[in-house]
Amino acid sequence: MNDQVRPEEAARALAEIGQRQEQVIRLSAIPTWYWWAIAVLMIGFTAAVETRRGLAIGIGTAVFVVGVLAATGRVVFRSVRSAQPRNDLLGPGGVFAILGFVAVTVGVSMAVAFPLEASGISYPATVGVSVAAVMLVIGGPFLMRYLQGRMLANRSGSRR
Amino acid sequence: MIKPKFDELIHAPTRLSLVSLLAATEWADFQFLRDSAGLSDSALSKQLTTLEEAGYIEIRKGFVGKRPRTSARLNIVGRAAFDQHVAALQEIVAKAGVSVFPTTP
Repeated sequence: MNDQVRPEEAARALAEIGQRQEQVIRLSAIPTWYWWAIAVLMIGFTAAVETRRGLAIGIGTAVFVVGVLAATGRVVFRSVRSAQPRNDLLGPGGVFAILGFVAVTVGVSMAVAFPLEASGISYPATVGVSVAAVMLVIGGPFLMRYLQGRMLANRSGSRR
Repeated sequence: MIKPKFDELIHAPTRLSLVSLLAATEWADFQFLRDSAGLSDSALSKQLTTLEEAGYIEIRKGFVGKRPRTSARLNIVGRAAFDQHVAALQEIVAKAGVSVFPTTP
């Protein structure tokens, strides 16, 4: 059978394979609204904690927990309902990119918050988390694009 | 290094689409496969059964609430066969040169 397959047909089959795998990988993108939702929830929660008022902390915590669960649940549900890309498509580079993004975001947030607190400025953690939130909203979609690029490079039949 | 091996079962157009989708996923939902490949429920069931009988895929049936949910995934045998098939296709194309790649519109 191998000898009967014309090169043009083989090329078309490879193109179809690439297109189908790309379809799955594109579906895995975390939507932009998710980064905004998490950013707003983080700022709201931190601000509530920094008011040091029991009621505000209680409401802030409840809204944060429910909000994160709802937003994350929606993204995960969408993925489970369709198709979840293979974990190994990310590769070590993708995993390091995610860990690096989280580490930089948390690090910048703390680097902003601690000096502000030492200077006696009010709501230092909220300011720090706001900076981290901006990084999430701007950097999140970039991270997704990078991860999708990694997955596309690691799929079957890609030229490595 | 993957040894190229042309697989007639995978090469059939509909199954090639399905296996390509499955090759990029952990588990793929029946509905997703049906809509992506543009098949009817019965046509997809038939193709999945063929792949399952060949020992290439695993089918999981469960419930989400009261709704039945069917998912499929490529197992190790299926993944190896797919990788070998892709390698065989690449070999055919490589022998003919890059001129055979379809041009983008």
